[in-house]
Amino acid sequence: MSNKYNAVTDQIVERLVEIVGEKYVLYGDAEKLEPFSHDEVAESQYAHMPDCVVRPESTEQIAAIMSLANDERIPVTPRGAGSGLSGGAVPVHGGIVLLCDRMNRILEIDRENLTVTVQPGLVTNEINDALSQYGLFYAGYPMSLETCYVGGNVAENAGGGKAVKYGVTGRYVLGLELVTPTGEIVRLGGKLVKDVTGYNLLQLMVGSEGTLGVFTEITLKLMPLPKSSVDLLVLFRTAKEAISAVPTIMTAGGIIPTAIEFMDQSSVRASCEYLNESIPYQDAGAMLLITVDGAHEQQVEREYESIGELCLENGAIEVYVADNYTTSERIWKVRRNIAEAFKVVSPHQSLEDVVVPIAAIPDMVDGLGEISGRHEVQIPCYGHAGDGNLHATPVMNPAWTLDEWHEKLPRIMEDMYKLTHSLGGMISGEHGIGHKRKKYMNFVVPEASLEMMRAVKRALDPNNILNPGKIVDVNDAS
Amino acid sequence: MRFIVPIKQVPETNAVRMDEETGTMVREGVESIINPLDLYAIEIAIRLREQHGGEVISISMGPANAEKAIREAIAMGCDSGVLITDKAFAGSDTWATSYVLAAAIRRIGDPGLIICGERATDGDTGQVGPGIASFLDLPLATYVGKVEHVDNDVCRVRRLIESGYEVLETDMPAVLTVVKEVADPRLPTLRGKQKARKVEVPAWGADDLDTDPNRLGLKGSPTRVVKIFRPQVTRQCRKVTAVDEESIGPAVDELVEFLRQRELI
Repeated sequence: MSNKYNAVTDQIVERLVEIVGEKYVLYGDAEKLEPFSHDEVAESQYAHMPDCVVRPESTEQIAAIMSLANDERIPVTPRGAGSGLSGGAVPVHGGIVLLCDRMNRILEIDRENLTVTVQPGLVTNEINDALSQYGLFYAGYPMSLETCYVGGNVAENAGGGKAVKYGVTGRYVLGLELVTPTGEIVRLGGKLVKDVTGYNLLQLMVGSEGTLGVFTEITLKLMPLPKSSVDLLVLFRTAKEAISAVPTIMTAGGIIPTAIEFMDQSSVRASCEYLNESIPYQDAGAMLLITVDGAHEQQVEREYESIGELCLENGAIEVYVADNYTTSERIWKVRRNIAEAFKVVSPHQSLEDVVVPIAAIPDMVDGLGEISGRHEVQIPCYGHAGDGNLHATPVMNPAWTLDEWHEKLPRIMEDMYKLTHSLGGMISGEHGIGHKRKKYMNFVVPEASLEMMRAVKRALDPNNILNPGKIVDVNDAS
Repeated sequence: MRFIVPIKQVPETNAVRMDEETGTMVREGVESIINPLDLYAIEIAIRLREQHGGEVISISMGPANAEKAIREAIAMGCDSGVLITDKAFAGSDTWATSYVLAAAIRRIGDPGLIICGERATDGDTGQVGPGIASFLDLPLATYVGKVEHVDNDVCRVRRLIESGYEVLETDMPAVLTVVKEVADPRLPTLRGKQKARKVEVPAWGADDLDTDPNRLGLKGSPTRVVKIFRPQVTRQCRKVTAVDEESIGPAVDELVEFLRQRELI
């Protein structure tokens, strides 16, 4: 197997035009193709231009594109909204970017089976907008839900803020229709709550980062919409106190909150200053944002009260309560704008996604502080404390040159990943590997596991044309 | 000093849908919140109490569930609240609302400062604050961005006006309507919420207030809503494009000519 791919020629473009129509093939205009050369990963060295962008509207069109690409040995990179954080949608070998934005419909809301079937290009938020009138909801909640597509969520097995209680995207994927790298249309799963009929290929596809198949229909499990939801913003003097409160909340409180988000001092400050937010953050060394939801207002009230009391007993300075959309938005904004706020400090940052067992979070936070000091780099740390997934984000020291940053970052990352591994963690909880973290895979994944991954990829994509260069290199076989 | 803050419960604007046929707001199933602009009034009242002592009383005229808005105000730090509710008040315009609120303030008695939000996000009139001042025959300062000084005799405020600021001094008691820059509202705390749940919020109806029955509710409202419609926005856009160095010159010329013809430059 070799990485020698064929270029997209005028003849190939003609055949793509025959499949999807002229209007839906972007070719030859560098300015128009540029947005498809990157995702939300900030560093430009991870970008790569596609030869063309194709926007199909049906499964059959995707099958035709894949079969053409497979015959002609042209790499294909599926793409959703491009909001990924690991370079998953970047066409590192050029070729075709397969954009699913036109496949953005809800195909069926099945209220008897509690499922919804959607196309991959649907904006995630729109699922719940459509479902709320039936008192139902889809529990997947990536932080970028207003822009990201559900197809990308499934491809990356997106997590997000509510994973403590509701788990990640994969828990809700019941069925997939997909096109294989060789152009076959396959259905996996269906509307079944239980299904052990053979290997669990469905969940193999979830989180496969667009390397094993192109999703064309997704069936998701639904749940009754919680009628009441309250957010608490809890201020602590130190990160240690905040983090130590998390296991207490989960165990002593006897309540699994919907979300427990952690924000360290620098994250809170940057975001509050960026938003002009007047929450008294000056005294706070860290904050927790805790969400409780449920079917009954009184029950939610009891639960948030006992969580709030536990926080106060464990050293919290103040507990703020947001029980309506306006105040909830106000406090969630602080959490959601951290990354944006640090772009003001420096646009050069590496949004990381380490995940450790929840009991190891205090050690992780300590260790990150030590790495930050040793490398003289700010590493704001925020994320999903309730599930151990921390977005520790080295931000370039403004005193450094770009060259210094590029030289130092890999060493910072190595230290962070080694620390994570030593605490029993992994290098990505929800953003994925893509090509951004590929070179660090062997820090945490044994060679035998890597070889299993390569074997799967080789079996399903014999010509290595579907999103090549991501997760593992098939040619690295030992 | 006694600070009285009249507040209004409004639909959460994020959730508002319009009935396309009638042109009215669909209120069913929509979460109700304190009018966001009233939060600034609550905040400045609490801060003034923190500086000068006294009490903050929030009052709201509305349906029975407007009690929730009052409890939220108490959770933020108001000391107590009064709900003003009666079927006879239904359909009140800004005149009839100001009339009833003024009567309620008279019953509470001994006001120092009456602090209102600039306007409500649903009705958008900004008339109730001035209306209360008028019915109580008190001095009024609208669009207050800063309270510079308060004592028992005098209140000095900085008002936002079109060309800048204006500093006014009024006798006390007085009515203020405040704008956002007056103070950033705080969030309700857990302790505040717990207190708010326990506090008794009295409900006053028409019989509890010294009012003329003919001046209440729809019957007592001089305003009639004749028609609700969406204004047509007729903006004509002309695009001037420059894509490279060569086209910048002509594009600038075109834009300058366009502005000159309209005597804008």
